[in-house]
Amino acid sequence: MQIIDVAPWLCWILPAIGALAALALNKVNRKAMNITVLSTTLLSCIMTLLMVPSLLNNSSIDHALFWFQIAGAQVNAGLLIDALSIIVANVVSFLSLLIMIYSTKYMAEDPSIARFWFFMSLFLSSMLLLVLADNFILMFIGWKLVSLCSFGLIGYYYRDEKEHWIGGPAPFPFQKPSRNGLKALLMTSFGDTALLAGIIILYLYSHTFNFMELIQTAGTWLPAMAATPGILALTCVLLLLGPLAKSAQFPFHEWLPEAMSGPTPVSALIHAATMVKAGVYLIARMLPIFFFAAWVAAPAYPEALTFFIMAGAIGAFTAFLGGTQAMVAKELKKVLAYSTMSAIGYMVLALGISGLSAGSLVAGTSSSIFFLINHGIFKVVLFLCAGVVIHSAGSIYLDHMNLSTKRMRFTLVSMWIGGLALMGVFPLSGFWSKDNVLIACLESGQYAIFAVAMISVVLTAFYVCRMMGLAFHTGTPDGNIHRDEEFRDRKLAEDHAHGEEGHWIEILPYGLLAALTVVIGLVGPLVSEFLSSAFSTYYANMGLEVAAETHTGFLGLSGLGLEVLVAAVSIVMILIGAVPAYFLYIKPTSNPSNLLPQTGIRRTLYNFLWNRWYINAFYNKVFVEPSIWVSKRVQRYIEDPLNQAINGGIPEGFKWLSRGLSRIQTGKLRINMLYLLVTIVIALIVLWLGGFI
Amino acid sequence: MDTAIPSILLQAVIVPLIGALLCAFLGKYLKRNTGWIAAAATIYSTALLAYVAVQLWTQGGQLVETYTWGTIVFQLDFGFLADGLSIPVALAMSIICTAMTVYSINYMDHRIEHLYGKDKPGTYALYYALFLLFPVGLIGGALSTNTIELFLFLESGLFPFYILMDVFGYKDRHRIAMMSFVWTQIGAAVLLIGAVIAGVKAGSFAITSLSVLSGTDLGLLACGLILVGILMKMGTFGFHVWLPLVHAEHPTSIAAVLATIVGFGTYMIARLLFQNMFASFQLFSLPLMILAVVTMFYGAYLTMGQDDVKRLFACSTIGQTAYSILGLASMNAMGVEGGVFYFISHILGKAILFSVAGILVTQTGTRSIKEMGGLAGKMPLTATLCLLGAMILSAIPPLSGFQAEWILFTGVFMQGLTGTAYMILAILALFATFLTAVYTFWPAIRIFFGPTPAGMEKTKEAPLTMTAPLVALAVISVLIGLFPDIIMHFLTSVF
Repeated sequence: MQIIDVAPWLCWILPAIGALAALALNKVNRKAMNITVLSTTLLSCIMTLLMVPSLLNNSSIDHALFWFQIAGAQVNAGLLIDALSIIVANVVSFLSLLIMIYSTKYMAEDPSIARFWFFMSLFLSSMLLLVLADNFILMFIGWKLVSLCSFGLIGYYYRDEKEHWIGGPAPFPFQKPSRNGLKALLMTSFGDTALLAGIIILYLYSHTFNFMELIQTAGTWLPAMAATPGILALTCVLLLLGPLAKSAQFPFHEWLPEAMSGPTPVSALIHAATMVKAGVYLIARMLPIFFFAAWVAAPAYPEALTFFIMAGAIGAFTAFLGGTQAMVAKELKKVLAYSTMSAIGYMVLALGISGLSAGSLVAGTSSSIFFLINHGIFKVVLFLCAGVVIHSAGSIYLDHMNLSTKRMRFTLVSMWIGGLALMGVFPLSGFWSKDNVLIACLESGQYAIFAVAMISVVLTAFYVCRMMGLAFHTGTPDGNIHRDEEFRDRKLAEDHAHGEEGHWIEILPYGLLAALTVVIGLVGPLVSEFLSSAFSTYYANMGLEVAAETHTGFLGLSGLGLEVLVAAVSIVMILIGAVPAYFLYIKPTSNPSNLLPQTGIRRTLYNFLWNRWYINAFYNKVFVEPSIWVSKRVQRYIEDPLNQAINGGIPEGFKWLSRGLSRIQTGKLRINMLYLLVTIVIALIVLWLGGFI
Repeated sequence: MDTAIPSILLQAVIVPLIGALLCAFLGKYLKRNTGWIAAAATIYSTALLAYVAVQLWTQGGQLVETYTWGTIVFQLDFGFLADGLSIPVALAMSIICTAMTVYSINYMDHRIEHLYGKDKPGTYALYYALFLLFPVGLIGGALSTNTIELFLFLESGLFPFYILMDVFGYKDRHRIAMMSFVWTQIGAAVLLIGAVIAGVKAGSFAITSLSVLSGTDLGLLACGLILVGILMKMGTFGFHVWLPLVHAEHPTSIAAVLATIVGFGTYMIARLLFQNMFASFQLFSLPLMILAVVTMFYGAYLTMGQDDVKRLFACSTIGQTAYSILGLASMNAMGVEGGVFYFISHILGKAILFSVAGILVTQTGTRSIKEMGGLAGKMPLTATLCLLGAMILSAIPPLSGFQAEWILFTGVFMQGLTGTAYMILAILALFATFLTAVYTFWPAIRIFFGPTPAGMEKTKEAPLTMTAPLVALAVISVLIGLFPDIIMHFLTSVF
């Protein structure tokens, strides 16, 4: 038995064992519990690393075992080891390990840490299962468990103490953790429902749940599916809704900002680095099927383009939507949450691009996955720094932070590195992946998507500078901890606000990742080249070699020329966003609030963004409130009357009947004789009608 | 197939009956410990059925035991059939009964003390003796080979239900007990009329003889009557008005049994109509599917508006049972397998949830969700169980609900591909399942999360006899969820 046969299984089973061990050891020994959880995470990380060699020799391995029987078929379970799964699994397990290390300090004083470890380990386990599963059913188990863990961790502070509320500041409404957890669970479940429908329809035509078989046999089952117009397009839409909900893309993005009520390591791991990437992963996983249908199959099935158009459009729109909201957010973690939405929009749009023309498959996918890797790393840096910053400042609001740039040097530097990478500044890692996405847009001729993506670059540059400026640079260099009346009663402020640097166990993970951001940046073109070649073999193995990458180029430019042009334009875009933010928040020359009069178009625009484009309010008005309204009335206006009518009415009817009947039982001979006469007459009539007399 | 134990199926049915007699005589002296006799009897039955299941798994085929009952007008055989359909259902129901007997020990102690004080030890005898008629009725019903036998076994479950509810229920118990008795009797009567029509025409009451009528006009009538009779028992929309009322008033320890009786209709439809009268039954596909979808939505919205923990889960039974009906209405093997699988999964989940409601009532002294909150810190195990139950119902893996639900919906969508109306119904139904997550998780959060109200500071975790059986049920559900072949191996051998 080779290591590659066991490593994929062990890498997700080990954290599951760690999760159970956390519960078992909780009452026994806290230290043993911490060590067990960390070591299972470490082992799992090593197991995923052991899969990397198969990435280098470009093989695709799928060992499936019999799982269970269904009518006329059987479902197998196996793990699929190929370029896509190995890369994503490594990102997940590596980042999880560092976040778990960070958590040992960050969560050290939490009394219910066993529950934290349980959900974190189970999360890691299910995330790896979802990434490595070779079929839809096994994948769906990981997929749902990830949601469940997210529910458990967003609502981690289930008692809803005031210090864990998010939202606000007063007079704006606050949101409580337990409600936020439920919201995330329900919104993603809605997408999952559609996803399940898509999987089932796909199965009914293809008779398989296995990803590889779906692609290999696509040529045989697609004609049957396409025979009924609309089915293929419907399947595309249904299948995409699941990943879109999971990855917080429009119109399901509303759960993510409120998912920030969990402990910060949770926000880092689940709501920035990994879980929200599950959607991107799944889109990438399903993509070859629809690419085959749209471009390789002869005759082609244009309905399959729905998949790519929808991904491209929604991704681009969400990238813009998230960026605009991040510009006005008051909470540090919320800025990061909106930016996550926006960044994932980038990845999704890149995946959309990969199928919008026959030649951009590899460029689209590899740039999206490159973005996924980089974003995972620098977003974890930002979130982990944010955790330290929030503790240090004693407030979740940017306006109240004003931290010392001197005393928090490590955090400041790491956070700037993360922020600049997010902006896409040369030569950090984010620069390369962002430019690859932009080039892919241009090369496939998607100028509208390119334009939206460029605008998002401006927005990103603005909100990153604003965030850093408000957190560190607006006040005096020594920092001054600002606590107003609102926060005096919030325990957070009293317990933690110290204005000091984090503990070294906290700094180590994000310091390391910040360094990694720089390193990847320095060798960016090499990494990008590697991913490109890995994915081109990956697709070639699937038989998706199409009209070999024929790039028409843009304005007569291609190759290096195009890259330089895009880089130059994007640097200009970054400056357009960063310069105003610099003079407003980092070296303020005027008070930003002067730009925002109480009335007028700017205030209206601000309110529009602050209220999240009123989308959340719209959902509440259209879905939540009517449902509650209906449910309150079903009992009163349908159930109770029915109960009255049937359980009350029928017995009443019998009572009335018996009273009526007893009244004619008079007992008087004359009347009884009359009944006798009537009966005889009726009998005679009946007999006569029946032809008996 | 053969087994080493003689009359094994008869034993599985008779032993609880003997246990009932023992409980009746010894209950007065053993008081709360009578429950252990009852538990021993149900465990014995469960073990026998598990043994049969293992034999069936390894040998395949089926096990038939026939005992001649009478030869006066018809040849009446009192037979038991263990095959891939009846064994998983009988075993699951037997497990539920076992779990509920153990759960009863503490719950009924509390209930009897509350109602009758300490000086009426005879009530223990009454409770357990009657309770043991449930496994007799349910196991016997699942194994029955003729319709009259099936009817009698069903009745043997309904009568004790009436008495137990009348004696041990809550406030409005006398009226509601009578009402539910009438409802279920009318359902049983309609069912019986259908079965008798079919039996007379076919010259035999054997379930397999129903196939003689399949596709004929009379078959359609018999099929319709049997179906309506079963739907009345299953609480589908229009026939459901008794269900929430009953669940609100009965002692919680028999709630899971009632959910099982309600869901048992799934088995009857699969056995009587799908297997033996398919040509007639398939004409009901569209109306049945519409009814199921309406019931799913109605049940969901009705459940969402509830404040009483007992009524809450009662209302959810309406919608959940409709899932199984939907599967059966899809008229294909996948749908029926999924429907029966979902029934098994649902009763596991519902047994947990009803029992959690019982725990909440006994431990907090209130039934109103509004008065509860933040109980997860006080009773973490109960909170976990409630969430596990919610996961079964909302089809979140690794619990059994997920596997059952996707198999069921694969069948439904298969029917969906045959026509636009079916497709729309299939998609609507799938989105109704989304509401399940709303009406299971939302109340769970209101009960267990958030701040604890002043009156609930001293709430304690329930004793182990109440929680341990539920943990066992959750573990079984997880096992089935991870290894669905435990159920599907049997079901695929029949359908």
